[in-house]
Amino acid sequence: MKLKDNIFLISVIIATLFFIACDKKKIDKKDEEDTSFDKPAMLANYADNVIVPNFQSFKISIDSLVNSFNTFIQTKSVSDLTSLRQKYITATAKFQHISTFEFGPSESEIVRSNFNTYPTNTVTINSNITSGSYNLGTVSNLDAKGFPALDYLFFGKNETDASLIALFDTDTKAANRIAYATACLSEIQTKTNSILNNWNSTYKNTFTSSTGSQIGSSLGLLVNQLNFEVDLLKNAKVGIPLGKKSLGVTLPEKCEAFYANNISVKLAKECLLNIEDVYLGRTASGVNGKGLDDYLEHLKAMHGSETLNDAIKNQFAVAKAKLDLVAEPLSSSVNNATSIVDAAYIEMVKLLVLLKTDMPSALGIVITYQDGDGD
Amino acid sequence: MAFGFLMLASILRFMAKGWVYDMYIKPKLFFPYYGFEWVKPLGETGMYALFIALAVAALFIALGFLYRCSALLFFLGFTYVELIDKTNYLNHYYFISIASFLIIFLPANRYFSIDSLLNKKIAATYTPNYFILIIKFQVFIVYFFAGLAKINYDWLFNAQPLKMWLPAHSEMPLIGNLLSKEWIAYFFSWFGCVYDLLIPFFLFIPRFVKPAYFFVIVFHLATSLFFNIGMFPYIMICLTTIFFTENFHIKIIQSIKKIFKRSLNDNQITFLPKPSLLKPFIFIVTLHFVIQLILPFRYLMYPGNLYWTEQGYRFSWRVMLMEKAGTAFFYVHDRTSGGEIEVDNKKYLTYMQEKMMATQPDMMIDYAKFLKKEFIKQGLKDPIIRAQSYVTLNGSGSREFIDPQVDLSVQSNSFLKNKTWVKKY
Repeated sequence: MKLKDNIFLISVIIATLFFIACDKKKIDKKDEEDTSFDKPAMLANYADNVIVPNFQSFKISIDSLVNSFNTFIQTKSVSDLTSLRQKYITATAKFQHISTFEFGPSESEIVRSNFNTYPTNTVTINSNITSGSYNLGTVSNLDAKGFPALDYLFFGKNETDASLIALFDTDTKAANRIAYATACLSEIQTKTNSILNNWNSTYKNTFTSSTGSQIGSSLGLLVNQLNFEVDLLKNAKVGIPLGKKSLGVTLPEKCEAFYANNISVKLAKECLLNIEDVYLGRTASGVNGKGLDDYLEHLKAMHGSETLNDAIKNQFAVAKAKLDLVAEPLSSSVNNATSIVDAAYIEMVKLLVLLKTDMPSALGIVITYQDGDGD
Repeated sequence: MAFGFLMLASILRFMAKGWVYDMYIKPKLFFPYYGFEWVKPLGETGMYALFIALAVAALFIALGFLYRCSALLFFLGFTYVELIDKTNYLNHYYFISIASFLIIFLPANRYFSIDSLLNKKIAATYTPNYFILIIKFQVFIVYFFAGLAKINYDWLFNAQPLKMWLPAHSEMPLIGNLLSKEWIAYFFSWFGCVYDLLIPFFLFIPRFVKPAYFFVIVFHLATSLFFNIGMFPYIMICLTTIFFTENFHIKIIQSIKKIFKRSLNDNQITFLPKPSLLKPFIFIVTLHFVIQLILPFRYLMYPGNLYWTEQGYRFSWRVMLMEKAGTAFFYVHDRTSGGEIEVDNKKYLTYMQEKMMATQPDMMIDYAKFLKKEFIKQGLKDPIIRAQSYVTLNGSGSREFIDPQVDLSVQSNSFLKNKTWVKKY
């Protein structure tokens, strides 16, 4: 009894001393260096220098694509078709740099599904064009619109330039086809404008002021969507065409931008570059601001004997190097150079593990809504 | 009574958050406990009806109306819900199950309750001490084992996982900056350990109940501030009042009585259980506590790092002890063509199930068996189900968790059998 009394008293005294020490520290705080990571500065860097500029440059590419289409349907010339296709390629590439940010304004516009559900459904597209009556807002039309539909409309299935132009010119359904492409383009344009306006008017402030790490915090949203994007890169862009979900039977027709047929690897590279940009807090022009890498460094997160940041950066480098070896078109490479594509795929899996398992764990990000007790 | 109200609040909170749907209706498969594979959910209306029944039972426990019936119903209902899917296992829920089991035997409806108003014969003022002692001892076990579990290298000498969890709150006003300091994680770790080990003793010593209770409040409010642990801190704060003297409780009851402006006849009767029931009662309670004392040590029978393999982890009051995360890729290998399918886990599992499964070997087996059935339905003949899983424990960095070549669908979750295919930590 006596001993326990003493232990108790001593522990009370120690605890009190600690609390006093805490208070002291608080008062002295101004004098010493601030040791906590500046999360607001990081979020501001993401909003001001990465996310909003990426949306701006995406918007420019969309406007230019729409103009180019309008010119093409006036002239119906081969040179304007070529120019239209170039603008299409630029816009889909820019899309890879905004796809990750599916929260806030993008989430309400359901950007990934509305803009880029592929493989596209050519049967639905053709029947929509033939009938001339359709509502692009319905779920059944998700795979008949967006970039994949434009890919089909602008590049065509086994069409020569002349026969494709004819579809927009002399074909009996030419007017319907023009109207359909216009509807697809304007849906992207309208939604993009609305998202950008939303970011500039209110959401930028919402995003930068939510500094916690709980559910729905900006950091939580960013990390979740970043992982979702890596998953898309690994599965939709590479894994599925490679036959990872089909007993090893390759599915070249499931490549992104299958009809353009020489940009699937390019789009995958753009996507990977964007994922790296987001991780580093790097702008499109290459300025490396405050990002997740700095946060991990600040927390001294480790991965075995190296820092987690180094491990992730190395993995980006390896994944990029392996993807660089894959030749266009991907639809041929999955059959002719399976092992090269597979090597890139394996590195993406490793990247996913680091970003999805190690990073959120080190950042203390809560991803689930349910209670936990520390597992 | 307080237990009843808190449970009512918990059940309502659970329903309000839509968890009934997320956890028991939406999932395509469930992960039952070993030995309880026959436990299945009831379907949408059934589950909602059950939760409403639980809420009513909790209310009745609080009011002391049909007390024993309600307590039994609550215990069975709540435990049933928890047994459906081990994804949702929390020490807190386990504690609620145990507590509701124990209160079935307590004469908690004898003094200030509707039952004693309706039936004056059962009304009593005094309860034998051993009834109270049962609850006290259970609370003791929870704290003490939680404290024992904290005596491990990572917790005390690396301040893990607190070193990872606390800085995540660095944006909090006033204390934010403090939380990202390393020493504070060590302080919290040691304080938590000492607290858990000593607090049950001090609660038993009348002189120290008040200061000890002060620490109970501070400790649990702090945990509820930093961690996402739901109702548990409040449950413990209320439950530990049982260590106070009877005067304290009588005062509270009297102040409630004043509100209702009614007085109970304080008939100075001591409740005594029927002698014929005493023997089975003692037997059940003793058995319960023997199991309680042994269960947390069962991990000793498995080789390897407990936190890594999680063999013998559940039901042991290991709370807030590790930051574990993983990613698992499952592959269905067709023997005929030699081809392989990488499974899209999201198609079959909820987010929470996938997360839990990726770090828990017994759940991987359950999932593999499910996948086998699923793909046989799709036309494959006796496929091999293997998985590549990467897990990071307390910020050590992700590494391969299990042998990627093992066919998980032919493994079994037998009690006490070591899972040799889990890699060494």
